[in-house]
Amino acid sequence: MDAVQSAPPGTALYVHLPFCAAKCTYCDFFSLPAAGQDLDGVLEALLAEARMRAPQQPRTVFLGGGTPSLYPAPAIARWLDALDDLIGWRESATEVTAECNPESLDAHKAEALLEAGIQRLSIGFQTLDPKRLELFGRVHTPAMSFAAFQNARSAGCERLSVDLIYAAPDQSDEDWRRELETVLLLAPDHLSAYNLTIEPGTAFARWHARGDVQSLEEEVELAQFHSARDLCRQAGLHAYEISNYARPGQECRHNIGYWQNAQYVGIGPSAVSKVGNRRFGNPRSIEPWKRPVLRGESAAEWGEELDGPARLGETWWLGLRLGVGLSAVEARERARWSPLDGEPDRAEATAEELLGQGLLERDGERFRLSERGLPLADGVGRRFLAP
Amino acid sequence: MDPKLIRNFSIIAHIDHGKSTLADRMLEMTGAVDKRDMRAQILDDMDLERERGITIKARAVTIWHTFKGQKYQLNLIDTPGHVDFNYEVEKSLQACEGALLLVDASQGVEAQTVANAYLAIESDLEILPVLNKIDLAHARPEEVAEEIENSLGIDATNALAVSAKTGQGVTAVLDALIEKVPHPEGRVDEPLRALIFDAIYDEFRGIIVYIRVVNGTIEEKRNYHMLGTDKVYEASEIGRFTPKMSRTKVLGAGEVGYFISNIKALGDVRVGDTISLHKGPKVEMLPGYRPPSHMVYADFYPTNTGDFEQLREALETLKLSDSSLDFAPVTSEALGFGFRCGFLGLLHMEIIQQRLEREHDQDLIQTAPTVNYKIQLFNGEIEEIQSPGQLPDPDKYERIMEPISRVTIMVPSEYIGAVMQITVDHRGDYVRQEYLSATRVQLVYDIPMAELIFDYYDKLKSATRGYGTMNYELRAYEAGDLVKLRILVNGKEVDALSSVVHRDHAERRGRSAITKLRKEIPRHMFEIPIQAAIGGKIIARETIKALRKDVTAKCYGGDVTRKRKLLEKQKEGKRRMRSVGNVDIPQKAFLAVLGSSEDDK
Ligand SMILES: Nc1nc2c(ncn2[C@@H]2O[C@H](COP(=O)(O)OP(=O)(O)OP(=O)(O)O)[C@@H](O)[C@H]2O)c(=O)[nH]1
Ligand code: SF4
Ligand SMILES: [Mg+2]
Repeated sequence: MDAVQSAPPGTALYVHLPFCAAKCTYCDFFSLPAAGQDLDGVLEALLAEARMRAPQQPRTVFLGGGTPSLYPAPAIARWLDALDDLIGWRESATEVTAECNPESLDAHKAEALLEAGIQRLSIGFQTLDPKRLELFGRVHTPAMSFAAFQNARSAGCERLSVDLIYAAPDQSDEDWRRELETVLLLAPDHLSAYNLTIEPGTAFARWHARGDVQSLEEEVELAQFHSARDLCRQAGLHAYEISNYARPGQECRHNIGYWQNAQYVGIGPSAVSKVGNRRFGNPRSIEPWKRPVLRGESAAEWGEELDGPARLGETWWLGLRLGVGLSAVEARERARWSPLDGEPDRAEATAEELLGQGLLERDGERFRLSERGLPLADGVGRRFLAP
Repeated sequence: MDPKLIRNFSIIAHIDHGKSTLADRMLEMTGAVDKRDMRAQILDDMDLERERGITIKARAVTIWHTFKGQKYQLNLIDTPGHVDFNYEVEKSLQACEGALLLVDASQGVEAQTVANAYLAIESDLEILPVLNKIDLAHARPEEVAEEIENSLGIDATNALAVSAKTGQGVTAVLDALIEKVPHPEGRVDEPLRALIFDAIYDEFRGIIVYIRVVNGTIEEKRNYHMLGTDKVYEASEIGRFTPKMSRTKVLGAGEVGYFISNIKALGDVRVGDTISLHKGPKVEMLPGYRPPSHMVYADFYPTNTGDFEQLREALETLKLSDSSLDFAPVTSEALGFGFRCGFLGLLHMEIIQQRLEREHDQDLIQTAPTVNYKIQLFNGEIEEIQSPGQLPDPDKYERIMEPISRVTIMVPSEYIGAVMQITVDHRGDYVRQEYLSATRVQLVYDIPMAELIFDYYDKLKSATRGYGTMNYELRAYEAGDLVKLRILVNGKEVDALSSVVHRDHAERRGRSAITKLRKEIPRHMFEIPIQAAIGGKIIARETIKALRKDVTAKCYGGDVTRKRKLLEKQKEGKRRMRSVGNVDIPQKAFLAVLGSSEDDK
């Protein structure tokens, strides 16, 4: 692939730690069961890659995966120290997140992570129903989820998030409301609630193709989507993105960057980076990623650079996922669009048109999805995208 | 070449009776094709022919056969059997003095056996009946010979029997052709007259003109005049098909071959035209061909509105090699600029559509097939209606007339009742009935063409377990109680979806049409009513519910590219639809709207 282009200081950093206790049945992230894998080898290669192209003084750092909490606390701490030596993140980062799973977040681990500089923990509950946890291929119990949450709080974590999945096969709206209400009683600072999506290549996709599991009726999924919004609002968490809720000030700044089409550097297998107008990604496999980075070479296996109008379309599609929406001026800025890109800004006219159709609404200069447009975000987004 | 040593013949038969297989054996036994290069139905070299196992285009080949110590040149033309390609048969017969009428000895005389034999009789050709597939255990040559005599009045007592599969009896057929088929009458020293009986476009060599020399001699490096188009070209290559093109530099009276002159202008060559020597003696034009009578019409529109000219070029190129195709520009409010095309039947339509897509890379929207209607105005004038959308309001004309076809059906006698029933269902009238043999009968009906192309043939096939075969021709236009069925999508009439139907069928067809549209049109972000109406009266209504949920749950930095591409792909899919008002209607819907289906029985 082409030469490594370095990101400006302050750019967000994503680190992909690819191992999990077991593979979940719905998951299409690049993640592997940890058993028999060279966990330390991956840390070493991650450091090599960071040396090569991690941004200096990142404003946000996000350890994702996989399950970063699966690593022993000392190993993570040591690795974070080494990373700090390279890019000085401890001083610069205002948000440092690690994704955790209940089975690997005991009191000691929670303390150690916070000690090492992690500020924000995101715990994958997914569901509180034991049968559904089994269907999802999760290796923890609901009790372990509560315990993990408690551990994080006791360790002093003030930015605590929970992940949930709704619209599972046979799940009723009532069932979902009950589950969500229970989780909200824990008073998380942030919540991600995802409509179950059947992704190609997953166990779920196979079951679905065979007819062993069925997707819910559109109406039922829609009801659950609205339930999430209602209950979260009542609990003081506002919907700042289609699937994300937060107490004011507790939004995930790192992720907001994605929806604002900002730059980011991702390291690790499958990680994607956006530097300048270029987006590129590493292989979804350990060895083809590890080999080049250990040699000090880029592992990127694909890349794309969109032209001005396409960037603008993408920016609108992503930006409208955010509750605050975006203005035409913001869109042009984020897309680094200039009239010199040849074509006029057609996106603004599209936005006006969608406004007329009641799918968008206006708040000052900003456009955002209307109540009706919200569950149709893809249809709206498509209108902005090429071709 | 002495014309006395030439024999020209076409192989004609009902579909699948073994014409191309017999041609294989003839090519093989006369050494035209090496055994190792041989493959089944070698002359069927078009992709679509091989996929479907049928001949679509006639093919000419020159073979050599020695009879009683004398070497003869035989020009054979393998023709298609399907009724939709009978224009190919007509074209071929004019280049011949004889016709080999092949009849499957297990199936017997079928509808196109009779139809094609009559074409040969009309052209005054010597007809040689040959019974095929005698290797089959259930072959019944005596009975089938009797059927030939009864249906055609041709003496078949001494009909040769062959197996095109094994080659048994084929040499005797070659001998008989030499003995029975008259040699061509022209002489090589007369002024040149050659018939253009076919043509194809070759990207590199220009138009390849298929000719039958009737009088005189044609040779390379001289200038020739095409009388009908009034164009002059120098022959750069002359040769014959063996079956590959092989250069001979000269062709004399009676011979069949090709003429190349790097002709690029499609309009300069017309099948049926006469070629003569430029500045040579004046000659009379050959009779050429009668125009094809089109049975079915449909509109083709480019999916991408900008591709109109490319579509025209593609159609012109196809028309060169298939003069039974006809087309004229048409405009639709919903679909823009396109072409209204006339076909000989539904299969012909399907083949043309596929050839446009495959050979010419065209991406098309096709409307449902219809027939041509005529309206009689109050002042007595008759107007042709090119498409149902053009039909004026009922108070503007006195009556509508529809084409009626004369349909001939051959069927084992136990199915007479079943055929009667579906015929009545399709507004058919009984004409007559004749027994071909003790067990097989020929039924003749008059059936509106519209019913025929709707689903009559499918129904006939299933009602007779595949035994019924049918031939049809246009008989007349007759007044009918016909009405225009209008289709409204989201309150807006879509001209390309409307049709002309019989009043008694209107409600059923209307309901079936909108049921199909409901299935074909994807849900939108708003609710879409679909209505069928006659005049101002809504006779059926369906609603496509609004799409209420269409949203990606998870979208982070690592997913952006993949998810965006997914959305773009879905959008690309939409681009292949036509927006009418603000509703996207898929290509398929325009074609599907009229077809019969299980739910409208
Ligand atoms: N058993 C047997 N099968 C035969 C014989 N001749 C042809 N067939 C088979 O009959 C089928 C049709 O043969 P074709 O040669 O394609 O028939 P055709 O008359 O050229 O058909 P169209 O060109 O489509 O009208 C093929 O499956 C042949 O193998 C024969 O003498 N004996
Ligand atoms: S724990 Fe998370 S990353 Fe790992 S398999 Fe399950 S869903 Fe995927
Ligand atoms: Mg054939």
